[in-house]
Amino acid sequence: MPRRRDEYEEYDEEEEEYDAVDEEDEEADGYDDGGKTKRKLSKTNFDDYEEEDEEEEDDDDDDDEDYGGGVGGRGRGAKRQKSRAANFFDEEAAVDSEEEEEEEEGEDDFIDTGAEIPDEDHRRMRHRPMLPREDEQEDVEEIERRIQERYAKSLNVEYDEEATDVEQQALLPSIRDPKLWMIKCAIGHEREVAVCLMQKCIDRGSELQIRSVVALDHLKNYVYIEADKEAHVREAIKGMRNIYPSKIMLVPIKEMTDVLSVESKAIDISRDTWVRMKIGLYKGDLAKVVDVDNVRLRATVKLIPRIDLQALASKLEGREVPKKKTFTPPARFMNIDEARELHIRVERKRDPATGDYFEKIEGMMFKDGFLYKNVSLRSLSTQNVQPTFDELEKFRQTSETGDGDMSSLSTLFANRKKGHFMKGDRVIVVKGDLRNLKGWVEKVEEDTVHIKPNEKDLPKTLAINDKELCKYFEPGNHVKVVSGATEGATGMVVSVESHVVNIVSDTTKELLRVFADNVVESSEVTSGITRIGDYELHDLVLLDDNSFGVIIRVESEAFQVLKGVPERPDVALVRLREIKYKIDKKIFAKDRYKNTLSVKDAVKILDGPCKGKQGPIEHIYKGILFIYDRHHLEHAGFICVKSEACMMVGGSRANGDRNGQGNTLTSRFSHLRTPPRTPQSPMRSARGGAMNFGGRHGGGRGHDALVGATIKIRLGHYKGCKGRVKDVKGSMVRVELEAQMKIVTVDRSYISDNVNVAASFRETSRYGMGSETPIHPSRTPLHPYMTPMRDSGATPIHDGMRTPMRDRAWNPYTPMSPPRDNWDDANPGTWGTSPQYQPGSPPSRAYEAPTPGSGWTNAPSGNYNDAGTPRDSGSGYANAPSPYLPSTPGGQPPMTPSSAYLPGTPGGQPMTPGSGGLDMMSPAVGGDNEGPWFLPDILVNVSRSGEDSAVGVIRELLPDGSCKVALGSSGNGKTVTALPNEIEVVAPRKAEKIKIMGGAHRGATGKLIGIDGTDGIVKVDDTLDVKILDMVILAKLVQT
Amino acid sequence: MFFHIVLERNMQLHPRHFGRDLRDKLVSKLMKDVEGTCSGRHGFIVAITGIESVGKGLIRDGTGFVTFPVKYQCVVFRPFKGEIVEAVVTMVNKMGFFAEAGPVQIFVSNHLIPDDMEFQSGDVPNYTTSDGSVKIQKESEVRLKIIGTRVDATEIFCIGTIKDDFLGVISDPGANP
Repeated sequence: MPRRRDEYEEYDEEEEEYDAVDEEDEEADGYDDGGKTKRKLSKTNFDDYEEEDEEEEDDDDDDDEDYGGGVGGRGRGAKRQKSRAANFFDEEAAVDSEEEEEEEEGEDDFIDTGAEIPDEDHRRMRHRPMLPREDEQEDVEEIERRIQERYAKSLNVEYDEEATDVEQQALLPSIRDPKLWMIKCAIGHEREVAVCLMQKCIDRGSELQIRSVVALDHLKNYVYIEADKEAHVREAIKGMRNIYPSKIMLVPIKEMTDVLSVESKAIDISRDTWVRMKIGLYKGDLAKVVDVDNVRLRATVKLIPRIDLQALASKLEGREVPKKKTFTPPARFMNIDEARELHIRVERKRDPATGDYFEKIEGMMFKDGFLYKNVSLRSLSTQNVQPTFDELEKFRQTSETGDGDMSSLSTLFANRKKGHFMKGDRVIVVKGDLRNLKGWVEKVEEDTVHIKPNEKDLPKTLAINDKELCKYFEPGNHVKVVSGATEGATGMVVSVESHVVNIVSDTTKELLRVFADNVVESSEVTSGITRIGDYELHDLVLLDDNSFGVIIRVESEAFQVLKGVPERPDVALVRLREIKYKIDKKIFAKDRYKNTLSVKDAVKILDGPCKGKQGPIEHIYKGILFIYDRHHLEHAGFICVKSEACMMVGGSRANGDRNGQGNTLTSRFSHLRTPPRTPQSPMRSARGGAMNFGGRHGGGRGHDALVGATIKIRLGHYKGCKGRVKDVKGSMVRVELEAQMKIVTVDRSYISDNVNVAASFRETSRYGMGSETPIHPSRTPLHPYMTPMRDSGATPIHDGMRTPMRDRAWNPYTPMSPPRDNWDDANPGTWGTSPQYQPGSPPSRAYEAPTPGSGWTNAPSGNYNDAGTPRDSGSGYANAPSPYLPSTPGGQPPMTPSSAYLPGTPGGQPMTPGSGGLDMMSPAVGGDNEGPWFLPDILVNVSRSGEDSAVGVIRELLPDGSCKVALGSSGNGKTVTALPNEIEVVAPRKAEKIKIMGGAHRGATGKLIGIDGTDGIVKVDDTLDVKILDMVILAKLVQT
Repeated sequence: MFFHIVLERNMQLHPRHFGRDLRDKLVSKLMKDVEGTCSGRHGFIVAITGIESVGKGLIRDGTGFVTFPVKYQCVVFRPFKGEIVEAVVTMVNKMGFFAEAGPVQIFVSNHLIPDDMEFQSGDVPNYTTSDGSVKIQKESEVRLKIIGTRVDATEIFCIGTIKDDFLGVISDPGANP
């Protein structure tokens, strides 16, 4: 029955208590800034901001062990034990914030049995030493002695690591133990109340049935009284000042331990810990604890000063200092000399405690540029201090003991996220007996990690506190950074220095230093994030101050931008909002030799620090080039130079831009005029060069590997269409459709590029042909110099024919272009109408090209040839850098890879009967590349200026287009080198052996059976086919 | 390490090649497609040494392309962790140096260069011992140990070390100019 009654009482009490709590809340809201939200924290994390901020006064730290020990000792903090009570009262009186009492949750399990008093030992073990009743007769010394004893013992218990969970559990208060009551008292009089109660206890002896009184430093306005019954409490506090008996609350059994357990975090502040300032000027700044004074609850921390020396100087001189609250001086190291220059008095003082010298300015202590500041422990945040590497590096910079700093990183572990370790992680033990033991994580519990040790003779798994573990990597591991500034980057570990891992980034090949904690093993390859907002890595952007630069790195919140300053590399850290917009214009610049440069042209740097570097232009702006050199390791391979300091190499890529074309042309003409001088022969510079580029890009390097690729559109309006990529602009791709004869712009994600077509071929032809087309008309006049080599009839045709044809090619929509059904007729319009069949563009042509005379071409490609049309052949020629080709007359199928890049070499020659444009094609072709006409072993007329024309036999073709000609009708004479325009083919006569110089059969030999106007009837040797070919492409063969 | 292995590949051939030289075309296309490529499993395919078999072709609807399964023998080069290779230094910078062993690029970080070697910047950046007796610069040949590999679709990248016995420079272009 009594039990039942107790329960009833209990409910009653509960109700009462709830009421009380509500009241408290209201009160607290008005009283305290923290209010409800803070209540939970109140016990453990009480922060007394106001007090700590400016308080500089020295506390009187006489010890009064009697009282301090008796009261504060229960909190187990040595500091509390030592301070004189009065001192505390003063201090606490200055405080205007206060805390709330415990909440009553969890009380449901609480059953008040009013149980008997447990034995004393039991109670002591509970860390709740009480004043036992027997003490009543003892004098103060005895109490002190006992308390000391208990205190010491409880300390032992505290640090006794051997204690198992079960033992600890046994110490927890049970329902049979006395309960803890929370009583409201006057603010600032908590200790006084406790001492008074103790005195009362001593005076009154056993009359007082309470067991103990606890006043907690961090809890204002309340004291705890341990007693079995509320009545006992009421009895004890009757008639006392500063106590408000109306508010007596029961502490739930579960929370009783919390009342008396000391917040472990407070203990965690020790030397070399990293902390963050919570308030004031340095709010959020990282600081390192240099010294801790647990008595005064103060610590000396080392900070990077934020001092405005100017303002300080003005202040010292008594001038008016404008109060600008918003302005926070940037953190930088204090330069004492600078201070002296501003006539700030600097004292040099020796710290008596440590013997170190400090510079003292205005009461602030400096050493090695750091500010040493004495602050309250409460103004330091120790939780979730995650120093970034930059911050740590800053601290390292001037400190001579770098290693010590790094080793103190172990304090970082305290701030690890939950779930830090995952099964399978490789770890190393960093503390304790098992130090340096390596193993794998098997299982993770709350704070305990079960690891499977690497060593034999050890139990299968060991349970280790996660604070004692650190992730472990070996050089060579491929890892990914999961947090920090370089988050997302991947790389390979090159070395491990305790908790710091050095990684070589996969993409930038830079060395990254990161904490092992922030890294996980991964096989993924990324460079980290590559875009923020609208801006992506390698974009050219305009900044706030109208400067511009290329984004060379994307960090978590900012970009690194290589600014457009050619003199020296200038990298700025730029935030998103500082970027005005992305510069996405087609701009051209002139190189040193007035060649027009456009994006993607390869240039060589002639001047400046990066002299000799070479690479494609990525951006052009205001005469500044950004060049990407993949061998340049700094700044992500980007180099910023003036355009005048560069030289174009290898000719313009002519990136499908028409605007600059005219200019480019002029520069090319200079090459054209002097063909033999450089390897960039006329043909080569314009076409061959371009093709080279095509080939190179076809290799998949650079970021426009997509250009020229054959793709299929998977989504959107053009879904299902195939086409070639003409250009890539940001996320948009311009695709030339195969079926619709137009170029459309689609989103990059809409395309799939796995259409298995020899992309490189197409690509080359694109560069070779498509981009060049428009310039042809303007070129024609230049060609007269080659006319001599043609028969007179050819020239007019050439000129006349060329232009319209090209025009049509260029603009497929002109009415001139015959419709597509002309295809079958091998109509001249064919390639104009169907861009995708532009010469050389279909892979077929590429295949065909390198195999003159080879068996397989004949059968299947016959059709192609028919369809190939004169124009086609023209293009074949246009593309044909045959001097470079091993396309020997023997018709050896030159199936070398190189042939792939020189598509359509002699492809699709219009030697087909019925192709209407037979006679016009050849000169048209010859128009821009006279060189490739020639083949060895043909009879020619060499007419050099100032000499009589002489008959000779071509022996060799030189790469620049000129030929080595052996004079004499059978090639017996001396060998001379002749330019192509000095050479004229000797037309064969009927029944003579001939060699075919163009078309699909280029290089093949045969016999001229008959001549029909401008056509020759030829019997090809290899196949014994009879073909009708233009006489122009037939040359007399001289067999040796 | 080099291996001589048999690999298989499905080759797509354009109908235009169907003729007498189909097999030759197939082989030459295979060589062109495959030689010099890199696969994570086998490493770089250095050369095709022979064709084991060419399977039956399958004509694909729509395109007319024919797919042949081709088995071929080839020499592959694949670097392994722990392997000792000889490589030519291609670039030296303060972070370390890059070297190439055939198609494989190897990076040796300065952490993995013996501590007595220091970086000397200048015209020819190099790593030199304090007494100047050993020098690593561009074109030097070094023997190194691979400690990590990363395999991409198109390349294999390795991290190497010369911080071990019997590793380091084996011929120095600067020594006898």
